[in-house]
Amino acid sequence: MSEMAAIVDKLCRASEREYYNPYEALAWPDSVDMNEWYTTPQFISIYGTAAYEAMSEEARKKLSFFEAVNFFSLNIHGEKSLIEGLAKRLYAKDTKPVSPYLHHFLDEENKHMIYFGGFCMRYAGKVYPDRKIVFDREYARGEEDFLFFVKVMIFEEIVDFYNVKMGLDENLNPVARQINMLHHRDEARHLVFGRKLVAELFDRFSPEWDAETLAGVREYLQGYLLTTWKEYYNPAVYKDAGLNEAYELQKSAMEHPVCRAHRAEVSKSCIKFLVDHSILLDAPVL
Amino acid sequence: MKTETDVKSQLREWISSASKKAEKIAVADDTPIIEQRIITSLQVMDLILYIEQLTDRPIDAEDLKPGTFKDINTIYKNFFEGSNDN
Repeated sequence: MSEMAAIVDKLCRASEREYYNPYEALAWPDSVDMNEWYTTPQFISIYGTAAYEAMSEEARKKLSFFEAVNFFSLNIHGEKSLIEGLAKRLYAKDTKPVSPYLHHFLDEENKHMIYFGGFCMRYAGKVYPDRKIVFDREYARGEEDFLFFVKVMIFEEIVDFYNVKMGLDENLNPVARQINMLHHRDEARHLVFGRKLVAELFDRFSPEWDAETLAGVREYLQGYLLTTWKEYYNPAVYKDAGLNEAYELQKSAMEHPVCRAHRAEVSKSCIKFLVDHSILLDAPVL
Repeated sequence: MKTETDVKSQLREWISSASKKAEKIAVADDTPIIEQRIITSLQVMDLILYIEQLTDRPIDAEDLKPGTFKDINTIYKNFFEGSNDN
């Protein structure tokens, strides 16, 4: 049995053992109290900026609610495209050996969206819209599959950093905390799978790519990392929290040294993996 | 209220400064900015944010059709026409 097949087998057995009903895993109160924390203060996107320092605790808690709605919305959009991509790759030629695990991956991502959507629609009455667009284009052999799974990996590794920390933060509203905790429980397996598959696809296909394709993949991934982060700084969140000059605030937070250091810290492990596997040649400036 | 000329000029300036193309191209109102890779798919998110800022209205990428960002004339038609005093 190959290393990948052994991992797929092990992960499938773990997913079967931990199979659960998403409608029973959480107790949903009818409403939530705006005077609670929904995002750990240090993880609020504008934490460290002058605008954050000027806010009262009450205003910060309100902002933490809309930041959580944005975080859960990003997860919904990420998982929607993930589900589309996973379904397309079920029993496809190049990904057939991992199909048994793709069934679990699909099932678990759908369950996560039930939590995320449940929170956003019950308590905010909306999901923040997606701003990501992908244009159709021609790909070299294996390039599209590689880009799909490496994007999933980047997205999920950043999300999981927050899930781990916020799933343990007893100062958070219990529903917000439990959603983070439940998400991490399945994501831990997805992350193992993601890293193995990304390395395997890159090693299998990249030697066939010409220099232009490889350079294009690297440039795209650097841009993807930055774009992924920009989505955490959502002007619509700032407007909903009652903050002025939302677009200017987004730009200044992206540039702020505290926010830059935070992004570097959260992305550190993922970027190290990409550089160690020569997928990226050096760490991008985030 | 901004005129059509003002808006198109702002869009042109934003696109020129955002473009990472090594050889800078003069962007006209009918230059195909996506086809010529002056703006990449990843940069469209920033462009959407910029248009939201100019119009003060949110944009849902789900509602967008292929060709929405084809060139400055099309962007103007899709997001600004009818909301400006021209």
